[in-house]
Amino acid sequence: MLEIKGLRASVEGKEILKGIDFSVKAGEVHAIMGPNGSGKSTLSAVLAGRDHFNVTAGEVRYQGVNLLELAPEERAHMGIFLGFQYPVEIPGVSNVNFMKTAINEKRKFENLPPLTAAEFLKMMREKMAVVEMDSSFSSRGVNVGFSGGEKKRNEIFQMAMLDPKLAILDETDSGLDVDALRIVASGVNKLKTPDNAFIVITHYQRLLDYIVPDIVHVLYDGRIIKTAGKELAMEVETRGYDWLINS
Amino acid sequence: MSLQYKYNPEIPEVFRCRVPLPGTDQAYLLNGRLRENIKVEGKLELKPQAESGFSVSVYPGAALADTLQIISVRDSNDVDDLRFSNTLSFGKGSESSILLCTHTLSMDEFRTESDIDINLSEGSRANIVVMQNEHNGSSHKMNFNIKQSKDSYLRMNIISLHGAKLGNVVSAALEGEGAVCELNGLYLVDGKQEIATSVNMTHLVPHCHSSQLFKGILDDESKAVFSGLIKVAKDAQKTEAYQANHNLLLSRKAKVYAQPQLEIYADDVKCSHGATSGRLDELALFYMRSRGIGMQEAKLLQQLAFVYDVLEKINNETLRIRLQELVESRLRGEFGQCTNCSMNCC
Repeated sequence: MLEIKGLRASVEGKEILKGIDFSVKAGEVHAIMGPNGSGKSTLSAVLAGRDHFNVTAGEVRYQGVNLLELAPEERAHMGIFLGFQYPVEIPGVSNVNFMKTAINEKRKFENLPPLTAAEFLKMMREKMAVVEMDSSFSSRGVNVGFSGGEKKRNEIFQMAMLDPKLAILDETDSGLDVDALRIVASGVNKLKTPDNAFIVITHYQRLLDYIVPDIVHVLYDGRIIKTAGKELAMEVETRGYDWLINS
Repeated sequence: MSLQYKYNPEIPEVFRCRVPLPGTDQAYLLNGRLRENIKVEGKLELKPQAESGFSVSVYPGAALADTLQIISVRDSNDVDDLRFSNTLSFGKGSESSILLCTHTLSMDEFRTESDIDINLSEGSRANIVVMQNEHNGSSHKMNFNIKQSKDSYLRMNIISLHGAKLGNVVSAALEGEGAVCELNGLYLVDGKQEIATSVNMTHLVPHCHSSQLFKGILDDESKAVFSGLIKVAKDAQKTEAYQANHNLLLSRKAKVYAQPQLEIYADDVKCSHGATSGRLDELALFYMRSRGIGMQEAKLLQQLAFVYDVLEKINNETLRIRLQELVESRLRGEFGQCTNCSMNCC
């Protein structure tokens, strides 16, 4: 599904990603761990197409196409979703209207007619239930006045609505209490199918108790320094990163 | 209240206002001359001033559920520079809503200056919405002179949608204790359009409250000036006065000049002012695009989000929704036709 080869990226002349290689197959859950400043958020932003970062070398192929040539919205239409670490507030644009615009833009890309109001509301209700979201959220401005946990739930709700093939979750667990973490994680688990894949970026092993990864990568200073099974996350939890960095 | 639509038979043939609300009493002012009087027994009277302009009197104690709309239009029957005076008087304890609109019906290079004296008697409450929508060769300066008595409340929203050179000069004197004055404004300029806003808010007595929120979106080579003064007299203790001016610049050539000022002679007051100018937020655009929303739409949503809190301050929901639609179509560039087609205003 996704193949990354020798990916390098910089921001304002400073190189952040210094050659990333890995691939993701349908049905897999990958975890990317690493200390602060290792390039985890940059990697997720580059995959979703944020042009704030310059890709200087390497290749990313997604479902056979050159991902790096596509605009963020085109990537979204093709099934890529990025769950933000800090979701953006959009006052005056209700969650309903925001999602309606997003869904119908995607359907336009798929040559499907826009959803009727009834179809859309039914879908909203179903997907809000996935993250145990109160229906009053739908009329509120996107993320406006939401608590940290509500914002993250809203990210998972948006993911459920857009039904991506490849979801990248950037520190979705940061700032969450245990209950919110459980809701977010169970949302992800409900959406998991053999046809989609997840890249879960996290600082802590905690989230991976709920969302069990198939493969764990440790990112440090713009490179993947270790790739292994889910046991690697446990090892990082007990031993920290130093033993990997110094080895 | 009667639902009388006393249209001037000549005007609706070429122009139909799409803002009106159910129950609105509508009157036209053609080149500064009032075409119809409105009298609602015991409640209000709209009549012409001597030569030109209008006067509205809301009678003491009158509570008007419906809005009075006065549409000032200019057309080719009189293309000379025009200046006229109007008054709005709100009687003691009255409650009312007024919508003032300006339009142009022909492509002549109109230059208009209108004075609007606004007097609020004790305990009166007034909601005034001003909507300016003139063609790209038309200039209009409006001078608002506000005087507020004890415990009166005024909320005025000035929505400047279109015009070559618009000016809004607001001078407000809070003369009676407990008076509240809320001024809000939104200006949208592009091309070579210019808008100047000047506010002079004077607190003369204690325990008054004023707030100002002016926001603008500027594109192309447009220019906006905001100068706002809050003046608190020596005896006006316990004053609360706030002022904010925020600008969103969509192009490198657009310019904004903001000059917020405070002049405070009392020592027990709460006052603040602030002015900002900024560009579209790259991260917010990326957020929307990552959900599949295209660049143009994402930019538009961000602009709508920017103006949201000003439009939210329009109390009348029907009017607010209509103005939100007008602002959206303006931001979508659908007003471009106004520069060529003067009949099709909004």
